Amino acid sequence: MARKNKGRQRIEMTRMSKESNLLVTFSKRRSGLFKKASELCTLCGAEIAIVVFSPGKKAFSFGHPSVGAIVDRFLSRTPPPPRGGSRASNRRDQPLPLPPPPPNPNSAVQLLEAHRNAAVRELSNQLTEAMNQLEAEKKRGEGINKMRRESKERCWWDGPIDGLGLGQLEQLKVAMEDLKRNVGKQAERVRVVEEEGLKVPTASFYAGGTSSFVGSGSGAGGVGVDGGGDVKVSDGLGLSMTPHGYALGYGCGFF
Amino acid sequence: MTRTKVNLAYIANDSERKSTFKRRKKGLMKKAEELSILCAVDTCAIIFSPYDPEPDVWPSPLEVQRVIAKLRNMSPLEQNRRMMDQKDFIRQQLTRLSEQMAKQQREIRHKEMTNVMFECLKGKGFEYLNMSDLNDLNNLLSQNIRAIERRIKLLEKRHNGGD
Repeated sequence: MARKNKGRQRIEMTRMSKESNLLVTFSKRRSGLFKKASELCTLCGAEIAIVVFSPGKKAFSFGHPSVGAIVDRFLSRTPPPPRGGSRASNRRDQPLPLPPPPPNPNSAVQLLEAHRNAAVRELSNQLTEAMNQLEAEKKRGEGINKMRRESKERCWWDGPIDGLGLGQLEQLKVAMEDLKRNVGKQAERVRVVEEEGLKVPTASFYAGGTSSFVGSGSGAGGVGVDGGGDVKVSDGLGLSMTPHGYALGYGCGFF
Repeated sequence: MTRTKVNLAYIANDSERKSTFKRRKKGLMKKAEELSILCAVDTCAIIFSPYDPEPDVWPSPLEVQRVIAKLRNMSPLEQNRRMMDQKDFIRQQLTRLSEQMAKQQREIRHKEMTNVMFECLKGKGFEYLNMSDLNDLNNLLSQNIRAIERRIKLLEKRHNGGD
């Protein structure tokens, strides 16, 4: 195995040795299995049921249109096999050669299915959208990392404190405490000004949306400005909403 | 990871749909088997398609019946507790994604604030920061100061402990 994990590695097809890994693997793979099943249903019109028991003996199941429907359908065509011996018992040997169930002529059921399918489509779209947003956020994170790495103005204090000597640590600490005091003063100034209803610097130096997600501070609705000069406008609620924040509502209400 | 991005919709083209079905069905069975082996858990899969009156199953009809029986031996509450259809499953994925998203944004916020902090330490002014930013900056500074204090204590202990 390579020293540095080059993405996915080949795994031996045998019971996992480490219990903790096993549990994590179960969780991920179960989810992945259900995902593949769901996709197969959507893409090819298949009807599927999957039942998986967890290491903790809990029963996870996925079914389309439902676990129950598929299981019943399966059981109704495969009677229990004969007990012992290869003696042919004409009724019990062969699975019943039933034709596939005809499309249900009941219009109420059809309507229900149409609704269900539409809901699934809608959810799938939301899922795709959410995945794209997450992708975008991750890229943003990478961008910031890159910027810091490439920044030429790095000073000795930038970086892990473990690399600093005692004297430097003391120095840094004093500088930070100093800054903290000043920040506190500035906060007080801002608060006072806000209370008196005067014009206040509400522009967040950074993309405003992220402030609201941390859930900190009130901040009157303002204009978020990021380093690139893009402007993100807040809504009237006083929260700076970026398109990211917006779509995360999923129609279930915002923060 | 995917070489061609797949649009998650019913494949209209008959032959494409059929070949996709064959390929993905095979993959699904394989994944079911892997899960079963790697985690030593009971698993079964039943697949009905328009192409065959008989369902495709894994591992075998007999085993499938056994696993189903195991399921149905549980109380209805236990059976249904982790039973999902497509809607349920997609909702679960959405929840997971939003958690990841929140985490990612927290991380980004932390990184950005750290940058601001260092800029300020270098002497940059912070009149442009709003209340929320100032709060976060204050907290970040507290965090860092505490970490430095811990580190100082550790170094002093080592020094005095007589290396």
